[in-house]
Amino acid sequence: MDESAQRVLEYLTDVEVAAEDVLADKQQIVDLDLRRNRNREALNALRNHPANDKVQVCFGNMFIRFPPENSKSMILKDQEQLDKEINDLRAGLKAKVNRLNQIQGKPDLRGYNLSPLNSNEMKAINSLIKK
Amino acid sequence: MAAQVATTKVPEVRDITRIERIGAHSHIRGLGLDDALEARQVSQGMVGQLAPRRAAGLILEMIKDGQIAGRAVLIAGQPGTGKTAIAMGIAQSLGPDTPFTAMAGSEIFSLEMSKTEALSQAFRKAIGVRIKEETEIIEGEVVEIQIDRPATGTGAKVGKLTLKTTEMETIYDLGNKMIESLSKERVQSGDVITIDKATGKITKLGRSFTRARDYDAMGSQTQFVQCPEGELQKRKEVVHTVSLHEIDVINSRTQGFLALFAGDTGEIKSEVREQINAKVSEWREEGKAEIIPGVLFIDEVHMLDIECFSFLNRALESDLSPVLIMATNRGITRIRGTNYQSPHGIPIDMLDRLLIIATSPYTEKETRQILKIRCEEEDVELSEEAHTVLTRIGQETSLRYAIQLISTAGLVCRKRRGTEVQVEDIKRVYSLFLDESRSSQYMKEYQDSFLFNETQTTQMDTSK
Repeated sequence: MDESAQRVLEYLTDVEVAAEDVLADKQQIVDLDLRRNRNREALNALRNHPANDKVQVCFGNMFIRFPPENSKSMILKDQEQLDKEINDLRAGLKAKVNRLNQIQGKPDLRGYNLSPLNSNEMKAINSLIKK
Repeated sequence: MAAQVATTKVPEVRDITRIERIGAHSHIRGLGLDDALEARQVSQGMVGQLAPRRAAGLILEMIKDGQIAGRAVLIAGQPGTGKTAIAMGIAQSLGPDTPFTAMAGSEIFSLEMSKTEALSQAFRKAIGVRIKEETEIIEGEVVEIQIDRPATGTGAKVGKLTLKTTEMETIYDLGNKMIESLSKERVQSGDVITIDKATGKITKLGRSFTRARDYDAMGSQTQFVQCPEGELQKRKEVVHTVSLHEIDVINSRTQGFLALFAGDTGEIKSEVREQINAKVSEWREEGKAEIIPGVLFIDEVHMLDIECFSFLNRALESDLSPVLIMATNRGITRIRGTNYQSPHGIPIDMLDRLLIIATSPYTEKETRQILKIRCEEEDVELSEEAHTVLTRIGQETSLRYAIQLISTAGLVCRKRRGTEVQVEDIKRVYSLFLDESRSSQYMKEYQDSFLFNETQTTQMDTSK
């Protein structure tokens, strides 16, 4: 293979790797959100459950009868962890999408790196935007 | 190939409303430069004026890079040499994201606001602020809504809402408030909705394509959308560009929301502006906002008076200042509001700050080209001889007059059911409508029969 073909191949590999990275993270977020929603459903179910009755909790491939209080706190902790992970992934995803754009020679997205206005500031601006 | 950027991650960019004058320069689509910034003879509606266009291109590059703010450019030249066309070209090439405000020098003279207020507002309209909105939303297609009403008829309702995306499906327990807003929005299964996590506001995006055949009778406003992809709980980022003036208006409390309706904002207190400036620079330091210095174009700038010029001098020094482009067709004339003469009717100290681009009259070939472009723009077919005659008229009278004749001749041609404008049509409109020099000639010959004529003709004083 001559040199230019080699270079093109390398470049395309670079792009594909970066793209794959972005896609993997996106899928990861979807999976985590799926778990988060399941946990939320569980919490709702626990709320309507009598407090003195034990509930069946599924660990891996085993069901264990567990007091509702404990399972609730467990799920809540899991939820927190999930929220954090999703946020971290989203933050990382930005840099990765940027890198992908850079490799492909696309211009940076406008206003991509801005931090958002808070809700109060947004409320003021909204009257302007949604007229 | 490469991954589609996550929909949740693509900031939408909202265009700002651009104020453009239509008509005489509607055929201009850009400056017509190549990559090396060399002007092409005929391109994007621009003809000739190579050096001025090249100069404008250089300035355009600097504006795009955000390198020059608080600078001013003057486009000077005889009437009908393409000054406004060049400014329009700059505006078109800047793209929708850079604010471009065009005004005529005389616009500042209004009874409702002072001259400096009008200028301040124009300045601030030409400065964009880019901000980002971030919201956590739940977005999905409604699979099922189930609402249980208590048997007694009163008391809290409970319910369940099943939402799905292409990847997942989940059930939400609904409280009383949520049920109310769902029924208020008339959400039914098959709708694609978003719920703002912070406010609980529900927005209907449309109906899912998969449910398109549920009913045959469908209102025309029913919109069909794809079932959302990915996660249910998304983060949505939207980038907005607003002008400083718009922020001023919403914060100018005395006006309240009335100001937005009337379109007439009146005067804005300088304290309000200072507050906004402080807020915006605070945002900029926190990384919440980007300033986009835009372009303020003042046509017929000789109409400004000495006070305005000294105001401009000062305003250009402020750190929130756009690029100022001015155009004038005056030579050495009196500065308005003084008895002093100055080139272009602009004080020397102001001129000293300007980059001056000079335009020169069009050659015969260029005139011909411009007329051809205008014919296409106005949808008038011109025969070869008529084109030559019109070019001749354009050279001998003025380009503007020749352009005026195009549409009128087109009309005459259509009246006689012709498809192509012939020399006769041009002749006819030429006899019907006088150009400036023939009109003056007529005046001189028949001035005795007009009312209020003064026998000594005084030259028009254009400096007042």
